[in-house]
Amino acid sequence: MTSTSLPDSLITTLPGSAYTDPEIFAQEQERIFEAMWFCAVRSSDLARPGAFRTVEVGRESILITRARDNSIRAFFNVCRHRGAKLCTEETGEVKRAFQCPYHAWTYDLTGKLVAAPNLTKMPDVGRSEYGLVGVATREWLGYVWVCLAENPPPFDEVVQDVVARLGDTESIERYDIDNLEVGKRIVYDVKANWKLIVENFMECYHCATIHPELTEVLPEFADGYAAQYYVGHGAEFGAEVKGFTVDGSEGLDRIPGVTEEQDRRYYAITVRPQVFINLVPDHVIFHRMYPVAADRTIVECDWLYLKHVVESGKDVSRSVELFDLVNRQDFDACERCQPAMSSRLYAKGGVLVPSEHHIGEFHDFVQERLGTGSSQ
Amino acid sequence: MIPVCLLVELPRGEAYRLDIDPPVSVFHTDDGEVFAIDDTCTHQDASLADGWLEGCEVECPLHASKFDLRTGAVDAPPAKRPVRTHEVFVVDGMIYVQPSTEAPNLPPCIAARLAGEPA
Ligand code: FES
Ligand code: FES
Ligand SMILES: [Fe+2]
Repeated sequence: MTSTSLPDSLITTLPGSAYTDPEIFAQEQERIFEAMWFCAVRSSDLARPGAFRTVEVGRESILITRARDNSIRAFFNVCRHRGAKLCTEETGEVKRAFQCPYHAWTYDLTGKLVAAPNLTKMPDVGRSEYGLVGVATREWLGYVWVCLAENPPPFDEVVQDVVARLGDTESIERYDIDNLEVGKRIVYDVKANWKLIVENFMECYHCATIHPELTEVLPEFADGYAAQYYVGHGAEFGAEVKGFTVDGSEGLDRIPGVTEEQDRRYYAITVRPQVFINLVPDHVIFHRMYPVAADRTIVECDWLYLKHVVESGKDVSRSVELFDLVNRQDFDACERCQPAMSSRLYAKGGVLVPSEHHIGEFHDFVQERLGTGSSQ
Repeated sequence: MIPVCLLVELPRGEAYRLDIDPPVSVFHTDDGEVFAIDDTCTHQDASLADGWLEGCEVECPLHASKFDLRTGAVDAPPAKRPVRTHEVFVVDGMIYVQPSTEAPNLPPCIAARLAGEPA
């Protein structure tokens, strides 16, 4: 401890600067988002060969596409000639190749340099060597995860975050997330540091105060203990509640693999560093964060349902409305905190109450990655 | 006549670039026909063998000009002038090309180089 000792009930948060300092943010980009597996896009968003998305991962723009053989490919979105940004659109589809808008270097869907002005006069320019530079990819839960590290850590690190929450991997596999369909997507532009959003997601001390509707559906949230506090615990729906909807009315068709034990329960998982997953019997809510600045984070949220539910045009709005409301309530709270992070009063940070103590593990994780260690 | 390669070595839908001066590309279409045209696009220095073959047409990989393999005619701009076509023979499974005696329509930068000017 640097200053006064705290009562046993309380532990400290990170200092205010951790949420505002652009240099700390740059380090997080380098040592967290560019070093770990990062959940980039929903695989079904790349439906056909040539469909692409560009995403910011740490400080890099990454181009993700599907090649002719249907494999997923990800590249640094940087032309090998003189560095023009290859694709400026966030999403789109090319017929056969990516062409740099500057001097027309042209790369096929596997990244190989296939054409360029005067290229045949330069037979010593290797077409693979001067092709786009790839980054590691994995598909899991129907999403494309990328890793910019030269030697990516084992993907099992990602899976272990789910195991730590649910106790095993079967529990999540039963929701068959790969094969669910996006029924709704909402993108939130949150004026808050990404860590405020993670911390908020991890605790439920705030639930009874800012989430009256959610607490109606999950009455045990009034205790303030998040589903994330216990291993394998799912919060149970209230006795009168028919489904995970804004008014507790009937939900959609239940995902067939969901067990009796998992039925009428809500599970929440944080997959570090930037994914939150909520599991309910009839749908899955999947959040991806894209931290863009120390004080700004884009959150892309998918509501995933059974294919036939989406295809038949069933009304999913009441279930979307519930968590959209929860998200807006949460992000408002994060945005309320962000300005105070630079207050003189918050220089040493705030405190965590017992039902929030598990957030300390997240702080340890961040400090370990940055090599700053805790001062306690 | 210049030998190119064995027909079996050139799968349908692919092209072979014959490295003579100026280079010639030989296409084996999806329908099984073989055509030879000048390899260099008449718009800029791009290899048409690297382009996209569709039916009896090749699309330049750089700015999408299209040339008819049978006539060399421009089917889509920005190229304005046709490419030359060359006669093709297949003898005992071997592809041969009889180079055209017409003057080639090379793009400005290459024509300048051939004329000895700085490009
Ligand atoms: S910078 Fe891309 S072709 Fe020149
Ligand atoms: S080089 Fe062929 S169209 Fe421009
Ligand atoms: Fe919340």
